[in-house]
This record gives sequence, C-alpha cells and structure tokens, in this order.
Amino acid sequence: MSSLGNFVKRLRDIMRNDAGINGDAQRIEQIAWLLFLKVYDTKEEDWEFDDDNYESIIPEECRWRNWAVDDGKGTAITGDALLDFINNKLFPTLKNIEVSKTTPINKAIVKTTFEDTNNYMKDGVLLRQVVNVIDELQLTDYEESHAFGEIYESILKELQSAGSAGEFYTPRAVTDFMAQMIKPQIGEKMADFACGTGGFITSWLKALESQKKTIEDREAFDTSVYGIEKKQFPYMLCVTNLLLHDIDTPRIYHDNSLLKDVLDYTEDDQFDVILMNPPYGGSEKNEVKNHFPSDLASSETADLFMSVIMYRLKQNGRAAVILPDGFLFGTDNAKVAIKKKLLSEFNLHTVIRMPHSVFSPYTSITTNILFFDRTGSTKETWFYRLDMPDGYKNFSKTKPMKLEHFDPAVEWWNNREEITIDGFDKAKKYTAQELADKNYNIDLCGFPHEEEEILPPKELIQEYQEKRASLNADIDRILEQITGILGINTEDLS
Amino acid sequence: MTAQQLKNSILQMAVQGKLVPQDKNDEPASVLLERIKAEKKVSPIKDDDIPFDIPNGWEWCRLNYICEIARGGSPRPIKEFLTEAADGINWIKIGDSDKGGKYINSTKEKIKPEGMSKSRFVHAGDFLLTNSMSFGRPYILNVDGCIHDGWLVLSGYNTAYDKDFLYYMLSSRFAYYQFCDVVSGAVVKNLNSDKVANAIFPLPPLEEQKRIVAKIEELLPYIEKYDKAETKLTELNAKFPDALKKSILQEAVQGKLVPQNPDDEPASVLIERIKAEKQKLIKEGKIKKDKFEAVNITSDVIPYEIPNNWVWCNLNDVVIQVADIDHKMPPTVEGNGYPYISPLDFTDNGIDFEKAKKIGKEDFDKLAAKVKPKRNDIIFPRYGTIGVIRLVETDIDFLVSYSCCTIQNTINMDYKYVYYVLKSPLIRDEINKYINKTTQPNVGLKSIKSFLFPLPPLEEQKRIVAKIEELMPFINAITK
Repeated sequence: MSSLGNFVKRLRDIMRNDAGINGDAQRIEQIAWLLFLKVYDTKEEDWEFDDDNYESIIPEECRWRNWAVDDGKGTAITGDALLDFINNKLFPTLKNIEVSKTTPINKAIVKTTFEDTNNYMKDGVLLRQVVNVIDELQLTDYEESHAFGEIYESILKELQSAGSAGEFYTPRAVTDFMAQMIKPQIGEKMADFACGTGGFITSWLKALESQKKTIEDREAFDTSVYGIEKKQFPYMLCVTNLLLHDIDTPRIYHDNSLLKDVLDYTEDDQFDVILMNPPYGGSEKNEVKNHFPSDLASSETADLFMSVIMYRLKQNGRAAVILPDGFLFGTDNAKVAIKKKLLSEFNLHTVIRMPHSVFSPYTSITTNILFFDRTGSTKETWFYRLDMPDGYKNFSKTKPMKLEHFDPAVEWWNNREEITIDGFDKAKKYTAQELADKNYNIDLCGFPHEEEEILPPKELIQEYQEKRASLNADIDRILEQITGILGINTEDLS
Repeated sequence: MTAQQLKNSILQMAVQGKLVPQDKNDEPASVLLERIKAEKKVSPIKDDDIPFDIPNGWEWCRLNYICEIARGGSPRPIKEFLTEAADGINWIKIGDSDKGGKYINSTKEKIKPEGMSKSRFVHAGDFLLTNSMSFGRPYILNVDGCIHDGWLVLSGYNTAYDKDFLYYMLSSRFAYYQFCDVVSGAVVKNLNSDKVANAIFPLPPLEEQKRIVAKIEELLPYIEKYDKAETKLTELNAKFPDALKKSILQEAVQGKLVPQNPDDEPASVLIERIKAEKQKLIKEGKIKKDKFEAVNITSDVIPYEIPNNWVWCNLNDVVIQVADIDHKMPPTVEGNGYPYISPLDFTDNGIDFEKAKKIGKEDFDKLAAKVKPKRNDIIFPRYGTIGVIRLVETDIDFLVSYSCCTIQNTINMDYKYVYYVLKSPLIRDEINKYINKTTQPNVGLKSIKSFLFPLPPLEEQKRIVAKIEELMPFINAITK
C-alpha cells in the first residue's frame, strides 16, 4: 500500500524526462491507456475465474500479462524493442480488433478505447519503467483497488489544471452534491450524455451504494448507469473509471449525443435520472442543428444538450444540469423557446447559483445547477445563491471546492425561506408567470458584483457576445412589435 | 438609434399625417376652421411658408388663429409677494412639473392675490411653453395659477385641437424648430411670443387627431422598453473595450499571453543580475543604499501560479530605485524654469510640460539630487488618482512633486513590461491591499516597493510587450 502513496509522483518523475510528453494532458493520456490495459487484465482474471470458456478479445501476445509483466530476470522487453512492439504491434492490433453489434460490451470496449489513442513516449527504457510502476498495482486486492480508485480520481482531477483538457472534468464536490440531492433509488437508470471522465456516474454509484443489499440489487446497481462521450481521451478515462468501480460492462459509448434526431427518441431511449454538465461554447458543425426542431436549434452546444435532455427524460423522471449564466440571461430566440418548453413541460423547481472559480483554473465563469423533473409544468421556481465560503477569496488548485461548502444549500433545501442580504436577493421564489413576464431572462438571485471578477479574454469575449446577442434579440423583438403597430412591411427592412 | 430618435421619428410621422390612414368620412379641418371664425388679424399663409405636403382633409393654420397666446408676468420684488396663506394663488415654476414632465398638478410656491394684477392668471387645461431648461417643451396645467414672464400660455385651443394631440404635436421636433429663432444661421433658444403666435401648424380632422393619439399611446410603452434595452446595450458596449484591455493585461502578467521558451535565460538569473547592477551603482555612489527589506514571498501570499521559469518578487527587485523628492514645494518662477509636475499636468496619455509650474535652477539642482526622472522611467501617483501612471518619454529636465514617486527602470528589464504590469489588475489589487484610507488616500513608498511582481525572462518580457502592443490598436478600434 505504501507504494500507492507515491504512485503519481513516481510516474511524473519518470515521464518528465521523455521528450515525447509535452504537458500534463499528454502525460495523463499516456498513463490512461496503460492503466486501462492493466485494469482490464485484472478484470479478465476475474472473468476467467467465473467462466472456464472465457476467451479474451485481445490476441495473446498483446495481453498485458504477456508483454508488460517484468519477472525481474531481464527478459522483459524494453528500449527500442518495446517501442517497436507498442507502436507497430500493440496499437495497430488493438485498433483493428473486430467488433460487431453482438460483441459483448466488456470486450468491445478494448477497441473503442484504443480507436484514437496515442503512445507519446519516445524513450523505450523510460516506458518500461512506467509500465513496471503500473504493474505493481495489485488491483485484485479489494482494499488496494479501492484505494487506487481514489488515486485514479486524483489523476483525473489534474485534468482541471491541464489546459483545455479541463473541460472533461467536473469537480467531485459538485457531482456528489447533485447526486445526493437527486436521491438515487435502486432500480432506477441514470444517464450522462456528455460524461467526460464519469464523475456524475461514479457519484451516482457512490450515493446508491448503501442501497445495494441483495443480488438483484447488485444487478440493478451494475446496470443503472449509461454514458456517452464524444472525445476519445475522456472516454477511455471514463471506461477505466467504471472498471475500477467494479462495473464490468460499462455502458459508455464513444459517440456524439447531438447527432441523433431528437424527434426520433422513444420511451426506450429515456431515463429516470439525468445528471450532466454539458460542454458550452463547443464547436459543432452547423449540420448538427438539423437534428433539432427549428425553434430549438441553437448554435450553443449547452442549449442543444438541454433539448436532448428534455426529450430523453422519462415521465416522472428527475434531472440536475450545470449550465452557464448565459443560459439564464440569454434571450435569443432559441434560448427563449428552450426555456419556455422547460417551464411548460417540466417542473423547474430549483436553481442553485454557484460562486465563481469552481472550475478553476480551467475556467473561472460562474455556473448554475438547474434541478427539474417531469411531473408537470412549473408552478414556481426557487432560486438560491450559494455564496463563496468564509475564508475563501476564490477556489484554486490548492484550495478546491469541497462537498461541505454546499452545506448551507442542503440546509436551506428542506426548509426553504426567502433570504435577502444587504438589499440583494439570496433566496427567492418566482412563479412561472413572473419568469415568462421577464421574457425568460432568469438571471435571478445572482452575485452582487462588488469585486468585478477579471475574466480571461476568452470568457470575457464570450460573455460580452452573449449579452450583446441577448440585448440585440430583445431590441429586435421590440422593434418588430413597433413596426407591426406602424404597419411597416418588415420585408422592406433588409 | 436612441429611444428619443425613435420617438421623434414617430411624432414626425404623426405631424405629417402618415401615422394613421385618413378617413373620408371625417369632418374635414376646413370646416373646423370655419367654426372658429376668429376675429383676429392673422397673416395669410404663403406657399413658401409650407414645409411639407399634408393629406386631404387637413389644413395649415397659424397658431394664433386657433388659440390665444400670451406671455406671463412677474410681480416685483417677488419675495414680497410669496405667501403660505390659504388664499394664496399658485405660483407656477418649471420645477412643479410631474415626473413624466407632461402635467403640472401642484405648485410649491404661492403668491398673494394682489400679485395677480402684475402677473397673468392661467387655467387648468391651458398649455404652457417655457424658455428655460427644456426649451419649447409643452406642459399641460391641471391647476389654475399665475405664470412669470419666462412662460408662454396657449389657451382656448379646444375647438380646433384635441388636448393630447396638441401636446404631442408641440412635443415634436417640428414644433421645436418652429419656435426657435434663427439669428444669422445660429439657432437661438428664445421664446419669442410673435414667433410662436405666427408659427404654422397642421390641423387634422378632429376624429383623425384622436386616432393619431391612440396610435402614439399604443407605441409609447414599446419605446420605453426599447429605451431600457438600448441603454443597457450602450452601457455594455462602453464597458467592454476597457474590460478586455484589463483582461489581456492580466493574462500577460500570469504568463498566459505568450508561450514560454525553455531556452530563455530564466528569471532567477535575471534577478541576480539586477541585484549586481544595483550593488555596483551603490558602490559608485550613483544611488543610495536601500534600507528596504524584501517581503518574503510565501505560497499563501502569491495570487496565482506562474510558469516555471518565472519568479515572484517585489517591485523593488526589478527596478533601480523607487524614490521621491521633498514634500515641500519650492517657489514657482515666471518664464523659463524647470517643469515641476503633478498628476494635474497629465494629459490623456502623456504629460504637459508647457503648462506645468516652473521652478528655479538652485531648487531644481537640490531636489534632482534625490531623484531626477529619465526617459523610460515611470511616474507613479501615490495620492489622489493612485496608480494612474505615466511613462517618461522625454529627455528634458523636470521634477515630479511629492504626490508621485519615480520608478527608475534598469536596462536589464524591458521597461514597457514593468509599465504594463503596473497597469494590470494585479497591481490594482496590490494598491487596494496597501492603501492608507486617511482623509487623502495614499500608498506609501515602502508599500510600492513591496508590490508583488511576476518576473519573466527578459526575452519573454519583450514577447509579451510585443503581443500587447499588437492587440491594443484592435481593441481601440472597438471603441467607436
């Protein structure tokens, strides 16, 4: 167990000397595929134990146990021979594994995980050292496996500081809070259509853990999760994450959730619970909008995901979604249509405004959690502002957000009262009509801008453009009404 | 387009008969005029006088044909006529108008009934026009009272004009220009009763006047909404360029604006070189030994992580010196002398040496021995507009008053990098950390020397400066 404590540091020290690793994101990606193969090999040991007829989908020479394990006698391949094996044998083989629709998930994931993976390391000797450190893991041991799960989480957390890779990671304090408040029940099925590294999924499993009592419970537990992830790197991390959480057939799909016509979804595609932090400011091809009804077709990916969620939430289902301020204050036509649909077909009961820098250093924008269910239309919505905890000027790598920082919100949740501080609303409820009267600008109980946060240029420009677009949309709407009254033919206007 | 411009445009349409369709069945305006049959002598309207075509059924008429126009008067001295008594007469002033600026419902002051004979009594329903402030703008009286000579009253219009239509018409730009005097090409705001009386106005059928009013009032709430949105947009656009500049400077001082180059000589070496340079200057007697003790920079003090080859240090570590001169200002001299400047002499981006106070050679020499600003030094105000810095871009001899300090840059640093750091939000935070909130807020010399300073390799400083200066013209272009 003591070797685990230094696990991350030892790998980092070895890999620092390899010219092929440029930056934290690449380092993590390199560790990811090696870990996947190691974890998978451990899982296969279990499966072989349970089933005499088990056959691995990986050709023998490519299996971890056959090339990675070093018996200390000097026969393990290393140096250029190892590099040659990895680049010219292992990777091509795994990328070209044949899978069909009938291939069981636990075998198919080998191919889907390796589809776009890369080996970055250029030094075979260093690579051998890395492989050996990873092979030291004794994942068959329950305690070590569990402890390693924590270490794996810490590796995932490093993504938050690894530049743009930070978009794949939602701080676990937030996923835990949302999973707790959604109150999972055994037998329910949850989904995350942009699952990243699997944070919501593992938080859900953690919250559901205590309800696992019988074998049927166990079965329900294992099949309760579902995820889709568009990008290769987080997909691989997520699959490995679930394997480490003992989900032997992780129903995680390497796909783009936005490429299916929302109107084609049936009840079979719907879920009891959806927990998500959809990407925003994302880049999707324009054709993606074709999969959505025209009034809901937005250029903003977060908006499109909201529509997917609305079409994939079961009757009486519950959802919790993280969205940026732009979704709340935006009043361009698509956003108004989406929010109108949300309030008329769903019950948006709670909006929690989170403080800035929760996702720091990846981004410092303020974000919000929307809680809604499909039990009927919204009658009233409660807004609650979670303030920065005492003693914190901002969250950072060294001072991250913790689950306990949500305690004030949890306490307020079951005993909801309106709160005003220094003339600013902190908690307040609004009727659906009031929200409609605001033209669905639901930027309410927000943070008083005492200290104007300096946003980095990208977020600043994005926020400016969103606000300007909203105001322009408001102005155009008013002008349309005016020209209507004046009897001006709007076709005469360019 | 502002909301006012939109409103003006709509009122112009109204006045020209283009806002609502005409109705043949309306009693034409000509019949209306017949009914008035005023006995006044009114100058006929020539074709040349007519500013635009009006629809059939409308007529042009002079204002004094369809109503009475008179000027107010003031009993003097007014103080002796003011009263609080119950029989006091309302004394109408511009400040009595309601929030909407349309009606006068009450007055703050009253005058004694004796004053009435020296003034003009007016009635509820009359229109008032004023010379002051909101020139030419009409007010509708909802009370009786007396008006001073700054007012004109329009009364007896009811036969011809619907009250609300008259109000909107008199609120239009058309009316405004009718009332203005044009004296040799310049617009003079002077309510000349003759000019007002002779002004010509369109007269629509009474029924059409009512339809026009209904249309305008249907539009007003939307114009109000437009005003709110447009004002927000203007504010958003006004704030953005500055916010973007700050954001870019903050990126720069965090090492995120340009990539690092591992081959650059690291900042840790640079800072030693500067130290050695300062030691040499002290030995040569060129600067005084600094009693300042560097603040130990621990991890809980630094506001953010910097790249590996950067170093956190104090401002004092990267400059030759931060110094000021004596508090007492030497006597000014007339004519030629040495400029002695303060932030009052700052221009938009520079310093005005011409207009600054001048001091004599003896005083100059004495004070310059403490610190004499040179090209590429930075003037840092420590009182008043703290931190609103200026770069020294001249070689002339001058001094800076005690309200500022001079930051003398070393050739081992890119002086422009120092300049941009001092303009960044990081330093704004540092100033707020150290500011003395006395009657005159200020920052001490010692505090300024302690400012946290993120130090990149010299080569990277140059790249950062180049990048900032590449971006600035574009941001400035956004400010219309």
